[in-house]
Amino acid sequence: MSRAAFFEVEILDPKTKAQLCFLDKVEPHATVAEIKCLLHKCYPKWYPARQALKLDPKGKTLKDDEILENLPVGTTATMYFKDLGPQLGWTMVFLAEYIGPLFIYLLFYFRLPYIYSPKYTFTSSPYPVVPLACLCHSFHYVKRLIETIFVHRFSHGTMPLRSMVKNCLYYWGFAAWLAYYINHPLYTPPSYGNRQIYYALILFLLCEAGNFSINLALNNLKSDGMGSGKIPCPTRNPFTWLFFFVSCPNYTYEVGAWIGFTFMTQCVPVALFTLVGFIQMTIWARGKHKMYLRQFKDYPALRMAIIPLFL
Amino acid sequence: MAAHAATGAKTATNDVSHKRRKGPGALATVYLVIYNVVMTAGWLVIAVGLVRSYLAKGSYHGLYYSIEKPLKFFQTGAVLEVGIVPSSVVLTGFQVMSRVFLTWAVTHSVREVQNEDSVLLFVVAWTITEIIRYSFYTFSLLNHLPYLIKWARYTLFIVLYPMGVTGELLTIYSALPYVQKTGLYSITLPNKYNFSFDYHTFLILTMISYIPLFPQLYFHMMRQRKKVLGHLEEHSKNE
Repeated sequence: MSRAAFFEVEILDPKTKAQLCFLDKVEPHATVAEIKCLLHKCYPKWYPARQALKLDPKGKTLKDDEILENLPVGTTATMYFKDLGPQLGWTMVFLAEYIGPLFIYLLFYFRLPYIYSPKYTFTSSPYPVVPLACLCHSFHYVKRLIETIFVHRFSHGTMPLRSMVKNCLYYWGFAAWLAYYINHPLYTPPSYGNRQIYYALILFLLCEAGNFSINLALNNLKSDGMGSGKIPCPTRNPFTWLFFFVSCPNYTYEVGAWIGFTFMTQCVPVALFTLVGFIQMTIWARGKHKMYLRQFKDYPALRMAIIPLFL
Repeated sequence: MAAHAATGAKTATNDVSHKRRKGPGALATVYLVIYNVVMTAGWLVIAVGLVRSYLAKGSYHGLYYSIEKPLKFFQTGAVLEVGIVPSSVVLTGFQVMSRVFLTWAVTHSVREVQNEDSVLLFVVAWTITEIIRYSFYTFSLLNHLPYLIKWARYTLFIVLYPMGVTGELLTIYSALPYVQKTGLYSITLPNKYNFSFDYHTFLILTMISYIPLFPQLYFHMMRQRKKVLGHLEEHSKNE
């Protein structure tokens, strides 16, 4: 039973109640997304991703897929507009976050001027673990960049510019801090020597392979067309068998890789970065785990969020 | 930092809307009342200690030693109130952490600054603030808040907050040469954990952090003041 009449939509500023835009002849089955496009035409500066529309100045933001005639409004709808600020697509965000650490580490590895004492400029470390660590660190971020460009499928979601700046400061800052010590002229190699480095490297490589396998598997899940309607499950790849035990094995492998890197370099800032990353990823994993539990009634009971049988 | 602002924040809104909010259960209320009474008493002890010591010595100098132990005890005890008190955990946590830092990591650790007058400056600021703050909480919990206490809480900070901050900054500043000379709490390279920490630089960075943080907290308290005390003026006009 659709109404033949068109809707009118007026968009106001929530603080001043001034009318920003008046849209007439809006289709009843228009979505909020389409209304945002119309507002964008009035104000080219405010592209849809940075618009937040609400029915009440203090209320919740309307979702893009909500339909006008289903909203609790009369034929003249009043909406309030909030500018979310400049937005960036997920791909841009991740590229920025990962390119920084990749290059920053190299600045320290090649001992560019003004970082260490002048007599050490452009020198290199006598310890083989130092170039090895550089290779591992660079490999980690190159892999992530490749995954961002070729593997991950992101939703149309965006991130506010301010958040991205904060994230970049975090990743870039930590990368600089740990690179400073690993490549320092007074760096001390691991206490248990080559054996420690060797086993740590094995752990690192296995976890990188594991993480990559999981990202591929998750990507295949999305491309099967069912959207988010399928429970992620183990495939023939042994690395994905971690799905038997955890909801987010990608995070598990990520922590594992950084633990490997920590033991390889035996460096406190790396340990701290691993710890903070672990805490953050646990929060994300538990959120995802709860979401799965709510979404799927027959979700495997054995699975934990990030650490098998534990967390 | 003596962020009197921190705990002022949420409580103001609670005052205004306490009718709509469900208070803590009976047992929790008893615990909170006891806690706040004990803390009020503790800071009163410190205040009395300061006054008696001043009268006995006849000068402002070196009064820290007379109240050193109760100061450490009650200021550190404030850790218990993080998450319990009607203020945001982040703000309360931050304030308590900075107070504990100043008490232990600066004043206690660097003996040479204990005689400084700047120490007295922040101790007095903290003492007056905490006596008012804890009695404010106590009376609020008992639903009998005298206007005087509310007024004091949201007005005296105008003087006490800058006073406390000045005392804190001067104390940290006077600690700097001793920290540098002795390498207190500092680690140098090389070491097997590949880590270094320079406490002297850390203290300087802490001092610099006051520049963005202090105005924010101060003006936040100002806004809270208008909200809480301004609202009451309206009420009395309507009656």
